[in-house]
Amino acid sequence: MAPIIEIKNLTKKFGNLIAVDHLNLSIEEGEIFGLLGPNGAGKTTTLLMLTTVIKPSEGTATIGGYDIRTEPDKARKLIGISFQDPKLLWVDTIMDVLNWHAKVCGLSRLERKTRVEWALKELGLWEARRKKIHSLSGGMRKRVEVAKILIQRPKIAVVDEPTAQIDVVGKHRIWNMIRALRDEGSTIILATNELYEADELSDRVGIMHKGKLLVCDTPEKLKDSIPGGDVVEVRIERDPPSHVIKRLESFDEIVKVSTIGSNSLRIHLNRAEEALPKIMETLFNEKIPVSSVNITQPSLDDVFLHYTGLTIEEAEKLSPVR
Amino acid sequence: MREILYVVERDVKMFLNHKILLFMRALWFVAQISLFGLIASRMVVVPNYFEYYAAGITITILYSTAVFIGYDIYEEAEHGIVEYLLSLPISRKKLAIGRSIGGGLRSFIYVAPLMGIVLALIGIRNPINFLLAFVSLFLFAFGVAGMSITIAMGIKSADKFDILMGALDALIVRLSTVMYPKVFMQQANLLYSEIANFNPLTFASELLRWGAGIEQYLTFGPITSVLVIISFFSLFTLIGIIFYERRLEGGGWQ
Repeated sequence: MAPIIEIKNLTKKFGNLIAVDHLNLSIEEGEIFGLLGPNGAGKTTTLLMLTTVIKPSEGTATIGGYDIRTEPDKARKLIGISFQDPKLLWVDTIMDVLNWHAKVCGLSRLERKTRVEWALKELGLWEARRKKIHSLSGGMRKRVEVAKILIQRPKIAVVDEPTAQIDVVGKHRIWNMIRALRDEGSTIILATNELYEADELSDRVGIMHKGKLLVCDTPEKLKDSIPGGDVVEVRIERDPPSHVIKRLESFDEIVKVSTIGSNSLRIHLNRAEEALPKIMETLFNEKIPVSSVNITQPSLDDVFLHYTGLTIEEAEKLSPVR
Repeated sequence: MREILYVVERDVKMFLNHKILLFMRALWFVAQISLFGLIASRMVVVPNYFEYYAAGITITILYSTAVFIGYDIYEEAEHGIVEYLLSLPISRKKLAIGRSIGGGLRSFIYVAPLMGIVLALIGIRNPINFLLAFVSLFLFAFGVAGMSITIAMGIKSADKFDILMGALDALIVRLSTVMYPKVFMQQANLLYSEIANFNPLTFASELLRWGAGIEQYLTFGPITSVLVIISFFSLFTLIGIIFYERRLEGGGWQ
């Protein structure tokens, strides 16, 4: 099956600054695709090009088969966006904003009423529905912005940092609503600089840095791509003989074994879940008693660090676009 | 068609949300008629100047409220609404047509009751003439909205737009027959009256006076005025739509 979004050499230049640099990417129908990167990585610019808000400098993309350069009107019928910064007129009420959005997106009167009411209630905005935007907190405005895409339910839903400024309970609620949107048939593009959010929601993650796509895969495979990214710490009750350490180091998954003090082993390895039984069997055969085992897997932050040499926070500080 | 109507609806609602501004404009209008108009009519030699002035000032308020769409476009740019509008599942052309219609319609909706007050004061002598004038003024409002959109999209700078519209307002109103008959403009300076011959406000105010039966100082026939208004409407609506459609993308707002 052809991908629902095909991005080919997509580039955006603002003067001398290359915000997006020859991006190539395919997104499959029905997946949640996480676009991860620090502020200024080019995520939002990419999304604005895909939603035909800005024109690419080079390259193009197809949305459901429609080219964003030559058939932008048709592409826009399939794609909707919840912006990073809420795009709301301050004199409007929440109800005005959502009702008009639903209308212009072609929802029937009944659908409009049902979906607007549902979104307002689910996002905790029902009581405030008659309030004007200027009287709302940043978090409430963000919820209104997210409500627009949840009401629209486009074939491709783009959500740019959907939980920024939202409290923990609200975050989980929005994540569940994004998952539900996918389950109802939408393909989701999630742009975020929150590693946990990308890890939690995404079927695949693309990491962007300085306008380029560095790597793209499932979160698990990305983590496994770090050599020795998993760490197993084993507490044992006597010093391990050197031949045991050599034996452990001979396993394909194991990158490095080091002793910590006299009764701990720190093992850097790949695919810890597959290697652990072999490690335990070796220690058991050598009659070395094990008192505890602790496995630490790498996070997407470690993945980002591995591919860029920087943490997300460091990359944000160095970004030319904030 | 439905999408255009939604855009129009949004513009009308947005305009009506400016409650304080609309109240102040109405207050200004009432003060101009009940104070300035009444007092000035006792000073000047023009017979029935009050009626003449009341019709002219109605055109002024129609112009100044139709221009307001340009300010709304800047407010939208400031709040990032431009990006939102560009992302909607509606063609740029329909969006532009909707903005142009909305800008004109809302000013007409606002001015219609004020015009009713004026007509109650000065009366309508020929309802058919008035109906023709009324329809033409509707087109005039669209033309002004198109002109405002054209300028706003052309310069993309809120400060420059504000200054330019302030200057334009001062000149376009004063260099027309809105407040004084052309014969007196000629006496003051021939150039003034020549400029007034090309000023859409001249033709709009002449039409309203003709529609209301105030025919003493008309310098153009109603057909000429209607044709000029139609040309003004067609030209600026078209340019406004083209400018909005082509220049909305690309940012550069100041």
